[in-house]
Amino acid sequence: MGKQQSNRWLQPRRVSVIAMNTFTQLVRMKVFYFLMIFSVIAVVAQFLDLPQYNGVEAVYTGELQILKDWCMGVMKLFALVFAIAATALLLPKDVEDRTLYTILAKPVPRLDYLVGKLTGVLLLIFVSLLLMNVMMTVVLGYRAGALLDEQVQMAVSRGWNEPAIASMRAEIQAQGVTWSLQAGVFAIFLQACIVGAVSMLLSTFSTSTLFTIMVSFMTYLAGSFQADAAEFYRVYAKPGNTTLTSVLMKGVALIFPNYQLFNITDAAMQGQVIPLAAVMDLTGLTAFYVVLYTLLSWFVFSDKEF
Amino acid sequence: MTELAVDIQHLVKDFRVPLRGAKPFRAVNDVSLQIQAGEVYGLIGPNGSGKSTTMKALLGLVAPSSGTCSIFGKDSLKVDSRNDVGFLPENPYFYKHLTGAETLRFYGKLCNLRGKTLEDRVTELLDLVGLQNARERIGLAQALVQDPRLLILDEPTAGVDPIGSRQIRDLILQLRDRGKTVFLCSHLLEQVQEVCDHVGIIFQGKMVREGKLEDLIAVENQTELILQDASAELVKEIQTLIQRDGAAQLVRSGKPRTTLERLFLQETQGDQS
Repeated sequence: MGKQQSNRWLQPRRVSVIAMNTFTQLVRMKVFYFLMIFSVIAVVAQFLDLPQYNGVEAVYTGELQILKDWCMGVMKLFALVFAIAATALLLPKDVEDRTLYTILAKPVPRLDYLVGKLTGVLLLIFVSLLLMNVMMTVVLGYRAGALLDEQVQMAVSRGWNEPAIASMRAEIQAQGVTWSLQAGVFAIFLQACIVGAVSMLLSTFSTSTLFTIMVSFMTYLAGSFQADAAEFYRVYAKPGNTTLTSVLMKGVALIFPNYQLFNITDAAMQGQVIPLAAVMDLTGLTAFYVVLYTLLSWFVFSDKEF
Repeated sequence: MTELAVDIQHLVKDFRVPLRGAKPFRAVNDVSLQIQAGEVYGLIGPNGSGKSTTMKALLGLVAPSSGTCSIFGKDSLKVDSRNDVGFLPENPYFYKHLTGAETLRFYGKLCNLRGKTLEDRVTELLDLVGLQNARERIGLAQALVQDPRLLILDEPTAGVDPIGSRQIRDLILQLRDRGKTVFLCSHLLEQVQEVCDHVGIIFQGKMVREGKLEDLIAVENQTELILQDASAELVKEIQTLIQRDGAAQLVRSGKPRTTLERLFLQETQGDQS
């Protein structure tokens, strides 16, 4: 009975069992209450008394901008906090409850356990972001459509010519639901993947969940500012120190991913077009760091004693 | 020749002490034991004597500092060795978000069981262990989920009421009858005596006595004669012979055995004094 199974690493079915269990565990921990709060924010934003539009000269896309700022801000906060807290909590909890003993006493390679846990957390973040994104898209699409009709009617009544109306239409549509906005949401998910992988690495050797959470946030901050720091040292470094500084900065850049690269989310919120190549680059970078941190986690976890 | 289910050879396990210059703590000191397939082996010892560490080393949860552990000939540090093992830790907790049946399904899937096979197994186990959502019973069922040949039980009756405790004892005997090998450690010496074929006594990390239960609890300087259909004259004649010997004396009739509990206390407390 199940004895002839292959115990090679990363068996997809086994990883998916652990991932789905982690996903269910987090769902039943009532994580989706956060989503309910998000829904309320999105719905309430729909009925907010937003600026009156007395003329086409007004910043007519302002209300769309506010809506996107709210929604994307909440999504980013949720993804970041959840990637750190959930990942930091799961491993110590399994050790504390001795659930880990019974799992590792089964033919489960430790790498499969780690990958399953991380996948479960990331799956929940993905599903949550997807639901939030759907809600944002529906509300934003509705508001953008209503605004467009209103502004076009106003422009026509004021005798605008066709090119001017088309320009205004394009400007409103750029602030509505776009593929670039979807790319921005995807970038939030990618960033959460790296943050979660860092958190998992820390939790494999940390003895305190609080320590894991705090250091994870610190690495996030370090990653957010490392590009600025590198630029600062490049400009102000003394000539004799440039080689050392350069090596140091490259080392820091390897350890701490440059989270500023994920600022395409902000660009997407401002209505800018995000090229597909940029999304592909970011996906590749994320895959590199997630694999790197997962391998490091495995390196630590494989020798860990319980 | 009977297959070896468990083979532990000269197991040593040191734990680092987080103080500068402090000597490592030796939890297990040169322990060797072998369990034949189909046996019930009881490892007994006081708290902190190294029982759980020995079990964890056998399961690959801790790496031996020296020595080797293997299960059915497979190195315990390899994942493959755990195909044939079920483990119940002391005072187990399981995922609170899962029901008893869901817990069994989860562990079954980890062992590559799927579909009807898994569902049938879950139903069978729920019947077998008479689950009433007690942690230990779920724990026992998850240990059995892939129908392993070896069952490792760390204090299986800890925190269980007397009725549950007896049910677990009966289950162990039932499993032995089905040909399973059971390796257990327990503080309840009477239960160990009731179910085990072999016993090892571990104290301060060392195996101080080990062997067949019947041999261990036999009193060395006494001889037991069990007569069947002996006449009163014959018995009287034997007693006369004993009296005539001078050195030998008849202590009592019956089974001159100590209890496992007395043996255990003798081996452990005797060294402390």
